[in-house]
Amino acid sequence: MEIKNYDELNSLELDTLREVGSIGTGNAATALSQMLGRQVRITMPEVRIMEYNEAIEWIGGPEEITAGVLVKLSGQLSGIMLSVQSLEFVNIVLESMLSMTVKDYTELAELEGSALVEVGNIMISTFINALSGLAGMDVNLTVPAFTVDMQGAILAVPMAEYGGQSDYIMTIGGNFVCDDKQVPCRLLMSPDLRSLNALLRKLGVSNG
Amino acid sequence: MAESKIIIGIADMKMAKGEGMLVTYALGSCIGICLSDPMLKLGALIHIMLPLNMETGRKNTMKYADTGIRETLKQMEAKGAKRNRITAKIAGGAKMFEDGGGSLGNIGLRNIESVHMNLKKEGIHLLKEDVGGSVARTLLFDVNSGLCCIRCYGRPELII
Repeated sequence: MEIKNYDELNSLELDTLREVGSIGTGNAATALSQMLGRQVRITMPEVRIMEYNEAIEWIGGPEEITAGVLVKLSGQLSGIMLSVQSLEFVNIVLESMLSMTVKDYTELAELEGSALVEVGNIMISTFINALSGLAGMDVNLTVPAFTVDMQGAILAVPMAEYGGQSDYIMTIGGNFVCDDKQVPCRLLMSPDLRSLNALLRKLGVSNG
Repeated sequence: MAESKIIIGIADMKMAKGEGMLVTYALGSCIGICLSDPMLKLGALIHIMLPLNMETGRKNTMKYADTGIRETLKQMEAKGAKRNRITAKIAGGAKMFEDGGGSLGNIGLRNIESVHMNLKKEGIHLLKEDVGGSVARTLLFDVNSGLCCIRCYGRPELII
């Protein structure tokens, strides 16, 4: 049976997606660890199905400024993947890669920006690679796009993209722990409904 | 400016009469539409996300420019507002990510076009706007004065 809305997922399907998230973020953490030369772990990965305004509260309020890297997925799985990077995470990256830190986002110049894009892109690509290997699906990625702005508006991008299909947004992803310190950097995947059904079918848990 | 803040979420609309500050946060490609009847000091703020309602059966009218504007005008008129007095100010419709290939489309631009078209269709005069670009906007609408204040990251506040 195909689901028509995100809130129709049963517990077996949610568990499967959580596992996908775990494998994806786990791989992304390994890649991040290699890039930064630091120990990186992941927290418990989450699958969340949220109403729009709930999602914005969950990520930490609409007006909070963050850096965001966005990649669009197409092929057998379409969706949007976001890497939402807090200032704390930004500084860990910049310190490891460029031996510098910034006090706020306005100090980010082109070089710093492209370091963040690259880190986000590698994490996203690793996540998708793992997922694509697991499910045997071909997924194409676009060139990453980058912005620094209010996170409510950044999160609204996947919402608007699939807003015509659903009143909910689904995200699969997790947080990272660098050197035993929890760093808010979220990796979020929002698949469209058709792809979600295809993914569950490929993984053999589609009910029916 | 008035003290009490009334917060409008995504795909939502609220009204205030006489006094009140209607606020909606972080408009990206979404658009905040302020409708005001200056004589009654009746104001409404809609936070729409998409240009056209093509859903069948779903009731979320405020998610879309076309049904959001129509439904809000109906509710304002039910409170005594007159169509020929109602004016509009809008903000939002940005393109948050510059993606080169354009694979994301430009929902912001389509939202702006749809809001313009629907306001015109309903005979509502558009007084001021701050739309497009690539910045997120927080919109504060003072119902008493009819003034809108727009807050952005990395840009001074703008009053329209």
